Amino acid sequence: MSTDGYSSRSAALWRSMGFAALLLVVLLAVNLVLNPARFHPAAWGALIGLAAPLIGAALASAPVILGGRGGIDISVGPTMGFVNAIVIQALFLKAGMSSPFVLIPAALLTGAAIGAINGFLTTIVRIQPIVATLGTYLVLTGVTLTILPAPIGPAPAWLKSMSGPLSILPLAAIFLAWWGIRRLPYYDQLMAIGSDDRAAYTAGVPVTEVRFIAYVITGTFAGVAGLMLTALIGSADPNIGATYTLIAVAAVALGGVSLAGGRGGLLGAAIGAIDIFLLQSVLTSFNVSTYVLQIAYGAILVAAVILTAVQERAAKRERA
Amino acid sequence: MPDDALTLDVRNLSLRKGASAFSQAIRPGEIVGLAGLDGHGQERFLEVLSGLKEPVAGDVVLDRAGRRTTVTSFRTAVANGIAYLPRDRRATGIFPTQSVLDNFAISTVERDARFGLINTQSRRQRYDVYRQRLSIVAPRPDAAITTLSGGNQQKVLLARALALEPGVLLLNDPTRGVDVATRHVLYDVFRDLARDGMALVILSSEIEEILLLCGRVLVFRDDEIAAEMTGEAMTTESVIAAMFGRAA
Repeated sequence: MSTDGYSSRSAALWRSMGFAALLLVVLLAVNLVLNPARFHPAAWGALIGLAAPLIGAALASAPVILGGRGGIDISVGPTMGFVNAIVIQALFLKAGMSSPFVLIPAALLTGAAIGAINGFLTTIVRIQPIVATLGTYLVLTGVTLTILPAPIGPAPAWLKSMSGPLSILPLAAIFLAWWGIRRLPYYDQLMAIGSDDRAAYTAGVPVTEVRFIAYVITGTFAGVAGLMLTALIGSADPNIGATYTLIAVAAVALGGVSLAGGRGGLLGAAIGAIDIFLLQSVLTSFNVSTYVLQIAYGAILVAAVILTAVQERAAKRERA
Repeated sequence: MPDDALTLDVRNLSLRKGASAFSQAIRPGEIVGLAGLDGHGQERFLEVLSGLKEPVAGDVVLDRAGRRTTVTSFRTAVANGIAYLPRDRRATGIFPTQSVLDNFAISTVERDARFGLINTQSRRQRYDVYRQRLSIVAPRPDAAITTLSGGNQQKVLLARALALEPGVLLLNDPTRGVDVATRHVLYDVFRDLARDGMALVILSSEIEEILLLCGRVLVFRDDEIAAEMTGEAMTTESVIAAMFGRAA
């Protein structure tokens, strides 16, 4: 019985992100051949630190997407940039606070507050998520530039170490938080809403509250991703954050999270993000221009979505 | 009959502006059928009972041994012992991406929580009780719900509603698209539930089903109760006559 359960779960896992996992193995092998020094175990801390903001952005994007009905938060990137600016410019440089016990809660609360605003706009005012979070995207980009017109540094030493030897810590924190959430009744309700919100309503699930909380979770995770970004660049830069939004959505889709909701998980989103990071690494080692990089992202994304759809259709035919 | 049995008290209810109001009491242990041509108010009546739709006038009151609660929303209805099984299984019932177990447990997720965390063991045990009682044929609890036959999907949905341990069960065409063998399993379950003191309201598009199951039938026409029949008076002819607005 237990082995049966295991095999069906791993089959479901494979169905949802088989392509991304396969790509991960291939890209990892190619990278190991091309860049043995960069991928040496001794360099893993720095390597993970380099990939962390993208992985964090993808993890942050996933919860609202799982909640379905067009749920998406494109303000994840600007939230990261805003947290970056608040932590360095407002708290560290202006107010002189450098303790992790101040900066980490501040980053989490900032993210959660932005998530709550997005949640309010999408679930209570009922603006379409893409429009509502586009609004937050623009406002946050503007506010970030207002408080921080030009890049400024440095970052506290403890924070910089989060992109080096300790780079796994913030990612582990997100995964631990999600591991906890998965064990709550809340998780079942979120997945049910993502699967079919009308059915969830008639089954007595408080649809609005559950979706609202998903936005707060996304915002909080984006706050952590903002810290990872700060750790990596070791300074504050008003222009970097926003670039993470679209590539994070691509990573989530690549990782087998259905943009229609109710299918996939954070592990898939992380694998999708690592795929994109490794692809970046392969192409740059061939000295390919960034324009070609963009073309490669796009092509991979479309291919992944098509493959997922084909797989799903095959699975459906199997059942019928 | 248990002390906490629920009576559903409908007072001066009007389903449409201009439609005449009616009062009804649905008592513990009773199976009441709702009949009528599609769109003549019987479905709206069931949705009003469940709190999903608001009536134009009048109200629905739950009476539990003298303690009375007015149904103002779907949530108050569910919290006070009403369970509703929706009509369109595919559109508003199952969660196609989720497992059988998750589909079963979604209305009662809190009950498996130990110190706030879900205990899968307890969920499986709860599911097993209903799997046996409703003879659900499913390969594994963690298989996707879409791998089940239509009849078994419907049983899982019924199990979901029963897991709430309701005092009143509202069924919106529960045997639609369900095979004959499964139908008879469901009929037996409904009768058992009524015997244990539950009040059941069944909307059905098949008159034979109502005649077989129900002790009383309300026939709707033009958003009003055109006829109420019990016992011997309930025949296919008399119900059809009332549905079409003719005197039997």
